[in-house]
Amino acid sequence: MGIDAAVVQLRRGDPDALTTLMARYQNRIYRYLLRLVRQPADAEDLFQQTWIRVAEKIRSFDTSRNFDAWLFTLARNLAFDHLRRMRPSSLDEPWGGDSPEDTMVSRLASADPGPLEQLLARERAGRLVVALEDLPLSYREVLTLRFEEEMKIEEIALVLATPVATVKSRLYRSLAQLRQILETNAGGEVRA
Amino acid sequence: MSRRDEHAEIREQLALFVAGALEADAESRVALHLVTCPDCSAELERWQVIAGGLRRLPTPQPPAALFERTRALATAQLAEHREQRRNLIVLMLLILFSWAVTLAGWPIFRFATGGLLSLVDVNFRQTWLLFVFFSLGTWLAGGSAAVLLSLYRRHERRLA
Repeated sequence: MGIDAAVVQLRRGDPDALTTLMARYQNRIYRYLLRLVRQPADAEDLFQQTWIRVAEKIRSFDTSRNFDAWLFTLARNLAFDHLRRMRPSSLDEPWGGDSPEDTMVSRLASADPGPLEQLLARERAGRLVVALEDLPLSYREVLTLRFEEEMKIEEIALVLATPVATVKSRLYRSLAQLRQILETNAGGEVRA
Repeated sequence: MSRRDEHAEIREQLALFVAGALEADAESRVALHLVTCPDCSAELERWQVIAGGLRRLPTPQPPAALFERTRALATAQLAEHREQRRNLIVLMLLILFSWAVTLAGWPIFRFATGGLLSLVDVNFRQTWLLFVFFSLGTWLAGGSAAVLLSLYRRHERRLA
């Protein structure tokens, strides 16, 4: 079943369509939420809330619009409400998991089969994730939507409810700051 | 625009170039400049390292149990909404039915109590009062049936 067909079926209340959509989007939504809130437990909670909200609101979704943008907007609103509830200053705190092992980096699963490749890829990815975590929330968000979710600039503008020009300037600033952090951490040379 | 100005402008656009966020004409201009400018090409490579790293970041996997747990909750929500919608439709139909019974039953009631002719020669005050009592009786019966039905369904749900 394709996305569009599943959305139509879900609007009619078909639980199988919900399973199809969840299976299709689960990794993307979880990753996006994890990048926003940084705590795996919070991301899991928000993941549940997002799909419950989808079940609640699907009838109000206009099928002529972009489902990805609608879904990510739902997830985003829940994540921002959650972050606001915690306390506004927590929006851009560095990562602070309870256990040193329970970090976002430790959650990253590598698909590379070779042990050396896996190690190198993990090291590079780990460095990049650490640098990402140092970025403000709005910068992390725009980077994950563009590079990990591979959304078009116009789609990102829909999710963020901002003009395309703002998305571009935010994207530029976030890349510049990420590069600066990586260069600082690597002693002047980009080795992400 | 001088070569120096163009060079500076292109440099500014390299980050958005690797992000694929430039308009087609700006993208062509950057690509054209890169062919003849080794400095900007070297700078582009640095941006590409970052962009490539971001694109290749491994996807964090949600815990396996989370999917099933979420699916169960969302499905229950979906079923609840479906039932609410069905109840609303039933309620609307019941209201329509009640009005139909009230309006259709009135002439029959009048016929049984005073004959059809009295419908023509009406005493407005008396007719109005009778109509009110008749309607109240009908709606009360309908309301009681709806309450009993809802109690029965709640009891059934509890047993399930």
